[in-house]
Amino acid sequence: MRHNLVLNTVLTGRLAWLLMMPSVAMADGMVVDKVYHPYVLPLEREVEWRLLSRQSDQGNILAQRLGLGWSLTETMTIEGYAIGERDQDDNFDMAAYEAEVRWQLVEQGRYWADWGLLFEYEKRHKESAYEATVGLLFEKEFGRNSLTLNAFIVREWGEMISNEWESEFRAQYRYRWMSAFQPAIEVYTGEDFVGVGPAVIGLHRFQGQKQLKWEVGFVTELSQVSKDHSVRLALEFEF
Amino acid sequence: MSRNRLALALCLACAPAIALETRSIVLKNHLFSPQSIVVPARQKIRLVIENQDPAAEEFDSFDLNREKVLFPGRKSVIYIGPLEPGEYSFFGEFSPNTARGVVIAREELHAP
Repeated sequence: MRHNLVLNTVLTGRLAWLLMMPSVAMADGMVVDKVYHPYVLPLEREVEWRLLSRQSDQGNILAQRLGLGWSLTETMTIEGYAIGERDQDDNFDMAAYEAEVRWQLVEQGRYWADWGLLFEYEKRHKESAYEATVGLLFEKEFGRNSLTLNAFIVREWGEMISNEWESEFRAQYRYRWMSAFQPAIEVYTGEDFVGVGPAVIGLHRFQGQKQLKWEVGFVTELSQVSKDHSVRLALEFEF
Repeated sequence: MSRNRLALALCLACAPAIALETRSIVLKNHLFSPQSIVVPARQKIRLVIENQDPAAEEFDSFDLNREKVLFPGRKSVIYIGPLEPGEYSFFGEFSPNTARGVVIAREELHAP
C-alpha cells in the first residue's frame, strides 16, 4: 500500500511538472489529435482511422492515419500507424509511420485516480526526421462525468527538422450520458497553440468483443486573432 | 507540515483502500451468481468475480463505467463506485443473453 501511495504521489507530481513546463517549440506540427485514456483491455485488437482537418487563414491542412493495434499483456497494448498528409500542392501522400505503446499502471477505480503511460516513436516518410514522445495519462471519475488529462514531452531530431524539446497538454471532460452519445469539452495546448471545443464520443456494440467507437471534435484556436479551426474524427473498430 | 501531520494525512488518504467492502460473484455456465448485488451507496466497493467457465468472458457495464476480461479459472477484481442510490446493470459480452446482473446501491445500508 505504501508503494501505491508513493506511486500516486510521484505521478501527481510528475503531471503537475509537465503541466507547468512551457511550450518551447515553434509550430511545426498539429496539436489536435486525440485524448488518450489510461486503460488497456487484454485479448483485444483494433483497427483505427483518424482524420484531422485544420482550417486557417493560410489554408487547409489535412491529415489521416490508419492504425492497427493489439494487446501485448493484460496492461500493455501496442499500435502501429501509417500517417498520410496533404501537402502544399494538394497531393495527399504518405507522410510518416508511428509505433505507440500504452501502459495501464493501476487497476481502474482502485485509487483516487487512474494512471497510464504512453510511448510513441515516429519517423517521417523518406526523410531524416524523428519524434519520440512520452506521455502521462490521467483519468478521474466523478459519478457520470470523467476528466481525462494527457501531458506529453516530445523530442524531435533529424537532418530535416530542428532538434528540440516540446511539451503538449490535452484535456477532456466527458459526460457519460448514454453509450452512443457522450458529450465532452476538449482542450489542446502545445507548439504555441491553445485550442478548446466540443466533442462527442460514442460506442456501438456488435456481437462479442466487437464494437465501434467514434469521436468527433471541433477545436477553435484561442491564442491567435486569425482563424484557426480544427475538425477531428476518429473511428475505432475493436475485435 | 510536521512529520506526524504528514503521517496522519497519508493514513487518511489510504483509509478507503483498507476499508473497502467486498462482494463476490461466480460466473458459471455463462450465468452470474448472484445476479443481483446490493451495495451501500456512496462507497467504493470491491467486486471479486470468479470465472468457473472454461472460456474467457468480458464483464461490461456502461452504467458502472467498467470493462474487464474475466480469464477462465481466475478471480478478477473490479473496483466500482462510489455510486449514487440506484441500479447499475452489467453483462458478459460473450454471453449477453444469459450472463447478466445488476448492482443495487442503497442508501439505507449506511443506517446504524
